[in-house]
Amino acid sequence: MKAYLSVFRMRFRLETHYRGAALGGIACQVFFGLILVALYRALYAGKPQSMPLSHVTTYVWLQQAFFRMLLASDADLMDKIRSGGIAYDLCRPLHLYGFYYVRIMAQKLMGSLLRAGPMLLFAALLPEGWGIALPASVPALILSLAALTLGLCCICAMENLTMAFTMRTLDQRGIQAMMNLLMMILSGNVLPLTLYPDSWQRIITLLPYAQMLDAPIRLYTGETAVPQAPAILLLQAGWTLLLVGAGCLFWQRNQRRLIIQGG
Amino acid sequence: MNTLKLYLRSMGILLKCQMQYPLSFMLQTLAQLIMEGGEMLAVILLVDRFDHLNQWNAGDLYFFFGLMSVTFYLTECFGRGITGNFPYMVRTGQLDLLLTHPRGILTQVMCSAVDPRRISCIAVGTVSLVLGSRMAEVRWSPQNILLFAESVFCGFWLVLGLFLIEAVLCIHSVKSVEIANALTYGGRSACQYPVDVFPRPLRMLFTVIAPFALVMHVPASVILGKPVFGWPAWAAWISPLSGFAVFGFMVFLFSRSMRFYRSAGS
Amino acid sequence: MSYIQVRDLCKRFYVRKKRSSESFLREKETIQALADVSFDIDRGELIGYIGPNGAGKSTTVKILSGIMTPDSGEVRVGSQIPWKDRKSYVKHIGVVFGQRMQLWWDVPILDSYSLLKDIYRIPEDAYRKRLSELSEALNLGDLLRTPLRQMSLGQRMRSELCGSLLHRPEILFLDEPTIGLDAVSKLALRDFLKWENQEHRTTILLTTHDMEDIAALCSRVMVLGHGRKLYDGQLQDLLRRYDRRRTVEIRYDRSGCIPVLPASVTMQREGDGFRLAYQPETLPTAELLALLQQAGSIREMTVQPQNIDYLIAEMYREMGL
Repeated sequence: MKAYLSVFRMRFRLETHYRGAALGGIACQVFFGLILVALYRALYAGKPQSMPLSHVTTYVWLQQAFFRMLLASDADLMDKIRSGGIAYDLCRPLHLYGFYYVRIMAQKLMGSLLRAGPMLLFAALLPEGWGIALPASVPALILSLAALTLGLCCICAMENLTMAFTMRTLDQRGIQAMMNLLMMILSGNVLPLTLYPDSWQRIITLLPYAQMLDAPIRLYTGETAVPQAPAILLLQAGWTLLLVGAGCLFWQRNQRRLIIQGG
Repeated sequence: MNTLKLYLRSMGILLKCQMQYPLSFMLQTLAQLIMEGGEMLAVILLVDRFDHLNQWNAGDLYFFFGLMSVTFYLTECFGRGITGNFPYMVRTGQLDLLLTHPRGILTQVMCSAVDPRRISCIAVGTVSLVLGSRMAEVRWSPQNILLFAESVFCGFWLVLGLFLIEAVLCIHSVKSVEIANALTYGGRSACQYPVDVFPRPLRMLFTVIAPFALVMHVPASVILGKPVFGWPAWAAWISPLSGFAVFGFMVFLFSRSMRFYRSAGS
Repeated sequence: MSYIQVRDLCKRFYVRKKRSSESFLREKETIQALADVSFDIDRGELIGYIGPNGAGKSTTVKILSGIMTPDSGEVRVGSQIPWKDRKSYVKHIGVVFGQRMQLWWDVPILDSYSLLKDIYRIPEDAYRKRLSELSEALNLGDLLRTPLRQMSLGQRMRSELCGSLLHRPEILFLDEPTIGLDAVSKLALRDFLKWENQEHRTTILLTTHDMEDIAALCSRVMVLGHGRKLYDGQLQDLLRRYDRRRTVEIRYDRSGCIPVLPASVTMQREGDGFRLAYQPETLPTAELLALLQQAGSIREMTVQPQNIDYLIAEMYREMGL
């Protein structure tokens, strides 16, 4: 337990150390947010939709604020897998899956917390129709925070599984790039999932990618009403458990294979 | 002409290098296809939901998207040395080696990398262009073809010039180079839509500072028969040249900065 | 007037110190990489440039090869100033960094060479002639059709050398060329450098930590420390200055014999014999020999000068590095 905590602490120190780079990242993300909001405003001006514009702008800002959560960014770990340095980790007295899970989570949590704060503040200060709207209600806010937490767990499980999977493949960079792209498209980063055709949405929202940011954002805007929340949270928890289970199994196999092959 | 020959020969060798790993190349090309396909899907879905964007209908929007994507990824493909590898070269001291050769630095950086995986992005862009020009019923007269070629060609230098901002920041060992991405990748994301959909500050930014509007949107809108800004048609022949202006200015800044270059390592 | 003239060369670096976790301020620290360094090198010399890590060796090489501009001081190579008009200057120099490769990784080195031919604008027949000369001297032969990636470190270094000599530079800068090489490769490399130096009167400036390289190749050495030139002259003179001790290995007929020696001599057992170190200045060799013979009849004995690395370490210590 102590080892896991120190992973978090180390990551936090690292993130604060690179705050110069973080500021650049925030500025860039804000710029992207502004472009997207401007675009959707122009589109709405031509043909208003049943879903209010403020939902879309809120969606955009929340996506931008938590962008770091989606991004598979543990380059260290990828390098380790590629170079075979991962064999060292096998010698450590740790549960391999758990150790990487915490590592990924620390990175995503600390990275996005530091960035989300200033960005959401900026978005809140923007004029009406440009920035982020208040949550639909207090219960909606609480539920969306719970969903965000579950979403984070789900994302980490997903990335860990990808990592385990890429260890098996011949070309890790190719696979990794493709997984990342699927994530960007199906999680609503390229285009809010709420703007996909309604018939597509019925399927896409069931996929694990939608559980990460889309589900919490919909709860926040009130797109998903409070009575439907338990079903959403259950779906998120289900995917998380499934992905964690698959990941554990995969790592166990990898570990056995590594030991047999001698790295 | 000797410089061009050197560039072409370098490209040959680099391609030979890349083809040593065919599987990796194919997978990464496929990944690029999914990426750009996803971007195009977003435009299609937006058109499906909203029909039109200001005065622009589906065909126009596909045309603008295709123009941007072809231009941007041609640059990423053939200008990879500047758009991708330069920070790495500074960090590892590879730039030192180039400095000991009797050739221009930018020439050598350009000759140091190519990214043929972008071919799939360019393909997506081309499909979008063809689709768009069919739907918008573009007449491909020799004039229009020439104007289009000018736009892509000048766009290449514009994008290259914008990526030089990152290179200059790198030489001065600035850490937060992501700022530069706002103009390059941000510019691509924004200006795959015609510039007049954006509010005034953004429009100014993409006309005066990073003139995507002058280089791409003005000629494209003339080809589509709906000139933006109410400018006369002949203006479309002149405005793309601003891409060269940006590139020239950045080359000037770059060569000034190289005086402050402090090589890495001991 | 000598070929390379360096006068009062200075270069400072500013490094940002790592911030402590409490302080929000960045501290700037100045490092004097070079302080008033002056020297002259004649055409055709083969010079060793030594000093501990961080002494300013690489900085000198970077300035001399036109990569870096000094803060102050003058440098003239032939009739040119390296950092003015870089392109016309670097035509006349060749540079090999031991840890950086200029050849392409995945293609046969012949392809890389022909690209270098284009970069340096070497005429076709001159290129052919030079390549066949170099590939014979460096024993490249079949390697020309092999990609760098499939070569051993020694082969790679030979290929790199060939690449940086194709345009017949007048000066060759070598930054730790023998790092990580095995004994055979090292010897081959040294032979080649000697050959190139004598055959073409190529001026060679060699920075290295390998004293064997220096001893085998260079008659003249320069020692640099903390950005200052500390010594410039014959290697033998330098060594003689610090070479005060001799090592003796001795074995007696019977293993029970133990010599009785003054305290100035250090002695330790080694196998069934002894290893002694003494200074001929305080204890003349004849006296030592007499003392050793008193202990018993000597079966075998060798007297050696000290290991060269040990000498250099001694020298650095005395110079306060």
